[in-house]
Amino acid sequence: MAEMIEQRALSVPVKRGIRLGLFAERLVLVAALGAVWWALSLSTPPYVLPGPQRVWSALGIIAAHGDLWTNLGITFWRVALGFVFATIIGLPFGIVLGANRRVGEFFEPVLPVLNTVSSAIWAIFAIIWFGISNATTIFVVFMTAMPLIITNVWQGTRAVNADFIELARVLRMPDWKIMAKIYLPTILPYFFSGARLAFGFGWRVSLVAETIGSSSGVGYRLRQAADLVRTDQVFAWTLTLVFLMAALEMGVLSPLERHLFRWRKEAEA
Amino acid sequence: MTAADETQTAQKLCADDGRAISLTKVCKTFPGPNGDRLEVLKDIDLGVEDHSIVGLLGASGAGKSTLLNIIAGIVKADRGRVCICGAPSDELNDWCAASYMFQDDRLLPWRTALRNVEFALEAGSTPKAERVRRAGEAIRLVGLDTFEEAFPYQLSGGMRSRVALARSLVTEPRILLMDEPFSRLDAQTRSHLHNELLRIHGLMGMTVVFVTHDVEEAVLLADEVAVMSPRPGTIREVVPIAPSRPRDPIEPEVAAYIRRLRELI
Repeated sequence: MAEMIEQRALSVPVKRGIRLGLFAERLVLVAALGAVWWALSLSTPPYVLPGPQRVWSALGIIAAHGDLWTNLGITFWRVALGFVFATIIGLPFGIVLGANRRVGEFFEPVLPVLNTVSSAIWAIFAIIWFGISNATTIFVVFMTAMPLIITNVWQGTRAVNADFIELARVLRMPDWKIMAKIYLPTILPYFFSGARLAFGFGWRVSLVAETIGSSSGVGYRLRQAADLVRTDQVFAWTLTLVFLMAALEMGVLSPLERHLFRWRKEAEA
Repeated sequence: MTAADETQTAQKLCADDGRAISLTKVCKTFPGPNGDRLEVLKDIDLGVEDHSIVGLLGASGAGKSTLLNIIAGIVKADRGRVCICGAPSDELNDWCAASYMFQDDRLLPWRTALRNVEFALEAGSTPKAERVRRAGEAIRLVGLDTFEEAFPYQLSGGMRSRVALARSLVTEPRILLMDEPFSRLDAQTRSHLHNELLRIHGLMGMTVVFVTHDVEEAVLLADEVAVMSPRPGTIREVVPIAPSRPRDPIEPEVAAYIRRLRELI
């Protein structure tokens, strides 16, 4: 069979050598940044720019009291909760907006409006409505993440291929199965990129919300450290957050995305 | 006659007709661009014997695809009787499953070849293990054993068509309806798939109705070719193709058929 010869590569070969090289390059980058930081800190007072050693020992102090993990846990829990609520509301709402033209046209102006409201404004509203409590942070994360998820899911619903629906109808597939087998797989990549964006935004705005509307969490600790001019602690918290987010991105989200969407043709260089 | 009587008469007439597909005085109009009615099909009479291969041949706009869609039950006829396996087409049930193969392959990009074939069995309540077993058999039938786990983007055009063919065969249909199924492939791949289709037809013996605008394809595959003419769509002539398959277009007898049909359309 002649067309068999035309077989394309069935698995994309991962070139280990190149990947290791890339890893080494990144280590060099981190080391270089660290060196610049250290050099700059030598000629600056520690309350402006503390050196790496000071930050490291501040980190040790925070970690030793259990402060680090408790507050990270609290913040993470709030972000996760706001994010889950945003998904519960945003996913079905986005599908309805995309599947029903009239509803979609009616609500179309609402999303850009929601997206332009600054998270700081949501934080102020949240303090008026919920006071100093968990709900304040959760609300701000929710209000930031939800429009992002709706927008992306909406786009995904519009990308559903009508030919696939026709195929399913010819096979006499019931509506709920068409939803599960055609709509959801089409929407999933859009939802995933929306959720990723929403989670990242959620993390950042949660800190804003916690600095002004909370008595616990990383954001609150950051403000406290700043108020006490403990710049080394501010750096320690910040570095921990950066490290955690990078680990989450590279260790969980990227591999998950690669696995879920392995059916996509990779753009050739 | 009441509606119930009419249904009964239709049932009786269909039951008396022994053929796999039988159309009597089928008409179809669509709303035209200027609010007028466009007569797409007019008084179509067509009978397709069990296990035979029939080609619907005609220029574009002759109503070939509409006719196929009426047989498939995707489009409803305005008037006339459509019998499938001895029953009115609107009462079509499982024992006479008709399968439809589209012009394009319509493979779901997020499913592997095997899972795409399995898709055709997911409308009903076939258990997973049986679905996988039957999908595997269908994949082997079209000669793609080693590509079960490949995603559509990893397959060539011909291979994708094979997967689509396997998907329409996995339900073990008694009737296979094809709308210009291989028209998007290059000549060589297409010829491979013609041979595959004839081989599988020899094994499974399903009735095949296919739409084409390619005279040679019609003559190479069909037992009978219904030549259609446009505005309004009618069947001008049904030509039986006598030489036994496989047919070679260079053979004088086959070439004569090709010439004759070229003149007809």
